[in-house]
Amino acid sequence: MTLIFEPLAPDHVPPELIVDFDFFKIPQDVTDPVQIWHGLADAGAPPIFYTPRNGGHWVFLRYADIVEGYRNHEMFSTRGAQIPPIEPFPVLQPNGVDPPEHDVFRKILAPMFTPLAVRRMTEGLQRRAESLISGFAGQGQCDFIADYAAKFPTATFLELFGLPEERLPEFLRIANVFFRSTDPDIRAANLLEIYAVLEELFREKERNPQSDIATTVLQARDADGKPFPWQDIINCGFLLFVAGLDTVTNTMAYVWRYLATTPDARQKFRDRLDDPAAFLLAIEELMRINAVSNIYRRVTHDCEYKGVQFRKNDRVILPNTVANRDGAIFPDPQTIDLDRKVNNHVTFGVGPHRCIGSHLAKREIMISLQEWLRQIPDFELAEDQDALSVFGGSVMGFESLKLRW
Amino acid sequence: MRVVANLNVCQGHARCEDLCPEVFSTDPIEGKVVIDQPEFPPELEEKVRIAVRNCPEGALRIARGGKL
Ligand code: SF4
Repeated sequence: MTLIFEPLAPDHVPPELIVDFDFFKIPQDVTDPVQIWHGLADAGAPPIFYTPRNGGHWVFLRYADIVEGYRNHEMFSTRGAQIPPIEPFPVLQPNGVDPPEHDVFRKILAPMFTPLAVRRMTEGLQRRAESLISGFAGQGQCDFIADYAAKFPTATFLELFGLPEERLPEFLRIANVFFRSTDPDIRAANLLEIYAVLEELFREKERNPQSDIATTVLQARDADGKPFPWQDIINCGFLLFVAGLDTVTNTMAYVWRYLATTPDARQKFRDRLDDPAAFLLAIEELMRINAVSNIYRRVTHDCEYKGVQFRKNDRVILPNTVANRDGAIFPDPQTIDLDRKVNNHVTFGVGPHRCIGSHLAKREIMISLQEWLRQIPDFELAEDQDALSVFGGSVMGFESLKLRW
Repeated sequence: MRVVANLNVCQGHARCEDLCPEVFSTDPIEGKVVIDQPEFPPELEEKVRIAVRNCPEGALRIARGGKL
């Protein structure tokens, strides 16, 4: 095989393991970013392959390898794993560090994200969903992303952090730049802006402690009873900012797009409105099929693993959507079966770094869908919805989703 | 019949609690599984089995008799 593109792969990668694949780039005719990954698997790409794009990185394509990648943090570290490599990049707490260091901030956050803690937020989430949806239900149409899916998780974040709802427009703006901008200068300025906001927020909570996540993180103490380094506290705030906004927004976009185009599924969810267990089971299947995030790891040392040579600092991508539709694990993997009984999907990751916000994310989506179906039982894609407003990257999704009813 | 959990492996997905709240709940501090009814009655067997099979970490196991 001859390479007809630049840049070249490094010498430790044999030609048969090289595929020219750019996960940020969606080909012209593809209307759904997850398809680029499934297209690769269908085209017979090796189960572990290397692409020289985006600074060069490996891709795992099997459920078993992806799950092992998550669990084996001695070899696949989360520290400094950005693709393409961005330096310096803040060390997120706790997800940017590996156990045992990881467990310190994880333990601080854990009680605030348990199923019980999330159940206690139900009423607030319900109220927010109701008021946002009733704001446009009478109009017969909306852009689901701008009008709902971006606002809902951002407003939820503000509440968890004990910030006033008036700051929603400001947060929507900085989040939008953070998640969508590709201009390095704008990105750098945006990072500074986010850090300035977090700094201000935590200083304010220091003066004026309340019962919110920011205060809890601030007041946590290490084993010797001392406060944590200021930078770690801010980096923990930063993690919560980046983790819960775009992922929920885009998962929702996928779910609503599917429902808008599948009358059958709308009916099934309407039938389950009064049966939380059945509703949740169906949501779990939509979580499996709509895994929007592709997770990065960094190889910690030179070694041979599964017959492949890895070098220290090689980057690896664990694409959850590929794991979730591996036929070796899921019977009839491309079919959405809202009654699927065994569903070991990895949408929230597995192992020590598993998404701590999974219960909150699911509840945000579940409550949103219940409320939506109560106010807008039937809906479809608007005629002017541009099928190609899609993006790839570490979180995949849609720039707009115009619906009508 | 008895169900046991390996807490070193459990990462708190709470799939078990979602699927069989009669037997499983989640610890409010660490967020790991709590088995409220290790010796579950036969009518819950199907639900417990489904919960065990849905644990993404493989942290749950059904043991026969009193032995682990
Ligand atoms: S599903 Fe498994 S990992 Fe999750 S809480 Fe239950 S036992 Fe733990």
